[in-house]
Amino acid sequence: MRRYLIKRLIGMIVVIFLVLSIAFVLVRLAPGDPASLMLGPDATPGEVQDLRVRLGLDRSIIVQYATFLGNALRGDLGTSLFFDQPVTQVLAARAEPSIFLALMSLAVALLIAAPIGIWAAYRRGSLGDQMSVSTAMLAASVPSFLTGLIFQRVLATDLGWFPVSGYGGPGAGFWDRMGYLILPAITLGITNSALILRFTRASMLDILGEDYVRTARAKGMSEARVVLRHALKNAGIPIITVIGLTFALLVSGAVVTERVFNLPGMGNLVVNAVLRRDYPVIQGTLIVVAALYVLVNLVTDLLYLVVDKRVKY
Amino acid sequence: MTRFTRLLASVAASAFVIATPLAAETIDVAIIGEADTFDPMISTKDVVSIVTQHFVETLYTFDDSWSVVPLLAADMPAISEDGLTYVIALREGVSFHDGSGMDSADVAASLTRWLEVASRGKSVAEKVSSIEATGPYEITLTLNEAYAPLISLLAFSNSAAVVYPEEILPETSNGELEQVIGTGPYMLKAHEVDQYTQLVRFDGYTQPTGASARQQRPDEIRFIPVPDTNTRVEGLLSGQFAYADSLSTEAFDRIEASDIAQPVLLEPFGWPMFAINHKKGLMTDLKIRQAVQAALPFDDMLFAAFGNDKFFQTDGALYPEGWAWHTEAGTGAYNQNDQQKAAALLKEAGYDGTALRILTSRQYEFHYQMAEVARMALEMAGFTVEMDVVDWATLAQNRDNPDLWDIYITHSPFLPEPALISSLFASAREGWDNPEKNAILERFTSESDPDARRAIFAQLQQITLEDVGLIKVGNFNALQGKATGLEGVHPSPWPAFWNAHLARPAQ
Repeated sequence: MRRYLIKRLIGMIVVIFLVLSIAFVLVRLAPGDPASLMLGPDATPGEVQDLRVRLGLDRSIIVQYATFLGNALRGDLGTSLFFDQPVTQVLAARAEPSIFLALMSLAVALLIAAPIGIWAAYRRGSLGDQMSVSTAMLAASVPSFLTGLIFQRVLATDLGWFPVSGYGGPGAGFWDRMGYLILPAITLGITNSALILRFTRASMLDILGEDYVRTARAKGMSEARVVLRHALKNAGIPIITVIGLTFALLVSGAVVTERVFNLPGMGNLVVNAVLRRDYPVIQGTLIVVAALYVLVNLVTDLLYLVVDKRVKY
Repeated sequence: MTRFTRLLASVAASAFVIATPLAAETIDVAIIGEADTFDPMISTKDVVSIVTQHFVETLYTFDDSWSVVPLLAADMPAISEDGLTYVIALREGVSFHDGSGMDSADVAASLTRWLEVASRGKSVAEKVSSIEATGPYEITLTLNEAYAPLISLLAFSNSAAVVYPEEILPETSNGELEQVIGTGPYMLKAHEVDQYTQLVRFDGYTQPTGASARQQRPDEIRFIPVPDTNTRVEGLLSGQFAYADSLSTEAFDRIEASDIAQPVLLEPFGWPMFAINHKKGLMTDLKIRQAVQAALPFDDMLFAAFGNDKFFQTDGALYPEGWAWHTEAGTGAYNQNDQQKAAALLKEAGYDGTALRILTSRQYEFHYQMAEVARMALEMAGFTVEMDVVDWATLAQNRDNPDLWDIYITHSPFLPEPALISSLFASAREGWDNPEKNAILERFTSESDPDARRAIFAQLQQITLEDVGLIKVGNFNALQGKATGLEGVHPSPWPAFWNAHLARPAQ
């Protein structure tokens, strides 16, 4: 187990280093100059060049890379070109909305997907099963931006049940801010419920056909006990895997939903950073996202130990 | 109370906030993006001007009819007969937000920095021989050649000649302000990146003598960056925002039908432009430029871009009717929509089929839509057209390299002084260096008599159209929106909210 963890941690470092290096090169291969964008449309080429010098963008890419790598090893991801703030500070400010949006939308997705997935598997081939699968396909097919726009217009603008956008004004408390996440979380939760529903149904179908399930029934156990205790527990590994990956995806990839609801999360940050060519922020976000994915994978693998005692590392 | 019930309570509270959205003394304004600096000297972005004009001030400003009026200055300048010396009296008793008083040393130091770091300041720097504090509340600017647009430059809120306390100014021109301290009616209280900029009333504010009163009606003004136009519309219609800038014209009917909000149409707001590369490539040939001008169907381009003639006017004059600078000189060359004439001009020019490269972006969808119609007309005339559609960041970089484009598409609001149109100058990135035009421009900028300036401007417009220095596509209107009952905001490309007041809360 210890060796396994050490191997995984070394693997994590390698992945993050590769992401860090690829991110550094890719953002600089893209055309577009942060200095031009910062100075505005009437800036002269001379002014743009002066700012490039001030931002250190005139130095060779090797020098920039060496500086970036040295600083990253010390936990310094650089300073945002646009905001003139440390990238770690900019990212930390975005963590709260992104993490809570991910958790809330995952909760919404699970609330929808788990019961329907289990029920659909239990009633395999019934009209209800077919309808739930079709609905899941429909939910997965409708892009979250469209769902978001419809919900925003109907539930926020027309009915006034939710705020249209933002994350609370000055002085907004924690629960006020959470209120701003509910509509985006429902939007994302519905979209992501489809995948979890299908995985739950498929895993349950496999397990419900196993001999030990038949044995449990033969022993006279109630159907609820057979399904929820014996079958669901053993169907857990693939479901945990997809939940873990969905969580990582939600933290890092709720770009469109954050955009529609104007949430100051990681997704919105990275889109703005790309549009502004804010290299340090793009790099920093990619590193954090890579680390998150690797970490979630590790946690998921460790959770297998809890769910299935037969798993050994 | 469990967390879950607190969450539900929060939802209910949020819903209540939407139902009764705007605290009477707080004005929430949705703007298109984040102001990346609060120092308007170093930025020419409109969003920076909109926000910063509330807390930093210039010596002069523009009134609602775009006439220059004093703001921090006590009066209009006393200008010597040769137009070389400007004596500017300053208002006494003006306080900065840190409590210190403004005097001539602050103004002289700020203007010196403006000449060093601001795009518009640099454009005039070589004409300024000295800036001196000639009294505690008086400065004297001495020029080495007459330059009539100087006062307009000092009044503009973009690349602005704002006044800071001398003590906070960086020692070198490369230095940045550590904090922005101004004299404006509002003070910067908080800034959460990509969430809001919170301004609060400055109690030590003293009213200007020339510009209209800044009544400081709201206690707070919050500028909220909302990059998505649909989100700005929904926020306005739900009552979350009291004012929303730069809305899609498609939202006009919906806003007009709403009880909660009203459309604000800036008519006309500005002009889309095909900027021409005079430095290198195809467009350095006058016949080719004239062929492009002859081929373009401006009315079709505007219709494609804006969809409804409520939002555009087909107009070749550089300033629309109603402006002092309006003239019809040279406009016969506008909107010819004559591809046969263009083909003949191409033949005369010996056009060899080299691709005409149009650099554009979908950041502003109307740019792209105009470009698509232009492409079809140009191809009908015999041009080979290469569309280079890139994101705005790439466009902003590539347009500085004359090897990469022949035409790029941009737009501008109507600026109060023609000398602020940078494309007219040979030093601009387009490099329009026609000696005859340069001489007219020189006369225009050195003439101080308003009537004589208008006459010279007519010549400038004439040669702009004849020599195809740039191609104006037409006039377009901009749509903003305000909460029903919001008063005290004059429609402008740079709306100000110091007099804003909600007569009744939005429903």
